[in-house]
Amino acid sequence: MAPLKSLEPEFSAIDSHFQMFCVSLGIFTEDFLLYDLHKLTGFAEQKPNSERLKQGITQLLSVVDGLHKPWMNGMDLLEDAKQNKHILSTGCEGIDMLLGGGLREGQLTEIVGPSSSGKTQVCLQAASSVAKKHMGSVVYIDTCNSFSPQRVASFVGLVSNLPFDQGAKHKILQNVMSNILCHSVFDIFAMFGVLHQLEFKLRSQKGDNQVQLLIVDSISSLITPILGGSGLHGHALMLSVGYLLKKLAHEHNIAILVTNHTVGGEGGIPKPALGETWKSIPHVRLLLSRDRGNNICSVSIIKHSSMASGKAASFMIYG
Amino acid sequence: MPTSAKWWIDGDESAAEMLARVSAERSVSLLPPPLHRLPLRVGNVVELVGPSPSAKTLILIQAAINTILPSEWNGVHYGGLERSVMFIDLDCRFDILCLSEMLKHRIMNLNGSMNKMNQDQEDIGMQNFDTRRKSNIAYDEELYTLCMRRFLYVRCYDSFEFLSTLKTMHCHLQKEKEVKHSSIHLLMIDSIGAFYWVDRATSFLPSGSTNRKSLSLQSVFETVVQEIRKLVQVHPMLVIATKTTTFGDRNFANEAHRKYLPDTLDFRNAATNTRQLPYQENMPSVWQSFVTHRVHVRPSDHVTIVDRQNHSLYLSEWLLPSLSYLDKFIVQDGGVFLHN
Repeated sequence: MAPLKSLEPEFSAIDSHFQMFCVSLGIFTEDFLLYDLHKLTGFAEQKPNSERLKQGITQLLSVVDGLHKPWMNGMDLLEDAKQNKHILSTGCEGIDMLLGGGLREGQLTEIVGPSSSGKTQVCLQAASSVAKKHMGSVVYIDTCNSFSPQRVASFVGLVSNLPFDQGAKHKILQNVMSNILCHSVFDIFAMFGVLHQLEFKLRSQKGDNQVQLLIVDSISSLITPILGGSGLHGHALMLSVGYLLKKLAHEHNIAILVTNHTVGGEGGIPKPALGETWKSIPHVRLLLSRDRGNNICSVSIIKHSSMASGKAASFMIYG
Repeated sequence: MPTSAKWWIDGDESAAEMLARVSAERSVSLLPPPLHRLPLRVGNVVELVGPSPSAKTLILIQAAINTILPSEWNGVHYGGLERSVMFIDLDCRFDILCLSEMLKHRIMNLNGSMNKMNQDQEDIGMQNFDTRRKSNIAYDEELYTLCMRRFLYVRCYDSFEFLSTLKTMHCHLQKEKEVKHSSIHLLMIDSIGAFYWVDRATSFLPSGSTNRKSLSLQSVFETVVQEIRKLVQVHPMLVIATKTTTFGDRNFANEAHRKYLPDTLDFRNAATNTRQLPYQENMPSVWQSFVTHRVHVRPSDHVTIVDRQNHSLYLSEWLLPSLSYLDKFIVQDGGVFLHN
């Protein structure tokens, strides 16, 4: 919330008298939210220019009303879900089948698995599938140097079954690759920077070629270093990133895919990293595991907002 | 002016009149299971506590559906309260399709049973049955749309948005009342502890400046409680808030111990058991004292088979006031159902 002075040009009742009145009570900016309106009105009544001050309070209240998202009813939400929140196929049949079509825009899907269980392969395949089939752009945030353009190219080559000549194939490949934007970040503050930039860009340009998929591989390597110890800031930063991702997903109709690793749990059974607090961030959590020696991965649902957990499927990673 | 002493002794209304008035204005209602053990009235604040996946949002949705359905529509008894509900989503994970499916299921179940009854009773021919069925489905759409419009939703991504929503809610509620002539009966807050960590870590000002209030965990919750109290006075409604316990469920040993205690054991043991909460409470005391009822839900390790499908079993327990039952429930497509 901006300081009261900056609201003056737009709202005439928030003039210098009103500002002085507020300063006398200790209100400079967002502290207004902490004050009891009736008490404030009561104070205003005691002053000589009470009418003007009360007008100022009403105008400030209308500013506050603009700070939160508008109220919607069930039918509006349904409209929005049907029109804007499409399902994006990941390119992996097993995952698509499990999720009822694929990743849903507006939702955050998390893939949990031990190392070399195929998480990055799934991410790369999803990126190539969305960039090719859905003609949308993909933002790939790479935190562990695992993005491989060659792999993406091979996935694209695999998907197109029609015999093309070299020129056309090359053109398709170029289009697809130019739709995938890769950012390398190695700490959480750089990640915040990338996400805020993305949010600004999405809010200011509403044209074609909108971002449809955002992949963070892997989010746990950014967050694990700041968790732990007695500091509170680790948890706060983790939740802030989570909420920023959810906001991007819902407001700009993006599907978000993040990966997480596993740590040892009770009785030696591996459990997802990042702890209890992170559990409330993703909409869907999938557990990935790969049999040693072959390329068959099995994926099961740990949590889904509308499906029972425990459902499983398996698929093969090609190439 | 009448004789002051006699007028003063006579009073304003008799006890019977007062009871009639209060029970009409602030009636008591039963929520759907698993919150059905105690009657709740407007002004109560229920806290639904539990670890992360424990069907809390589904319970809220079920309570919402109960409130938005009418009590009767086209001859079919739905048993709802026909009032609006408000859902403040602080968790930002609400799926409207979940609500929509559960509502459709409920309507079709109740409608379907009515249809069946009609057919059995009157012995209609196939053609008649089809047209009647079609008209019933058309009514369903209208009923469904009407109910969905009674569900109001807003999502808040941080404490600022939450506070500004609460501050401006009074005007919105007034408008709703004027436009739709239906008042809000239920206010649901999904995950009141959602911004706990973020607020705890932010403190904008050094503690030196005394005049200015800073946005800290304590002040945010004080304002939240104050605003909800003021709202409930003007628009009487029931408040249900969910809360996620982040430190896991301790005292599994306590639960096992309780199983072996016979019911007729002395009060001392019961008292010490109830004082120990089965989770770690970390909300500020201003919120804790605002809550009038508390229910603890959690998943159990058991899986039961209902209709040839595996369902995991959840347990629910009333902590405030402390009842000694442990309800078991399962989650199905149509909602949350009790299981014995």
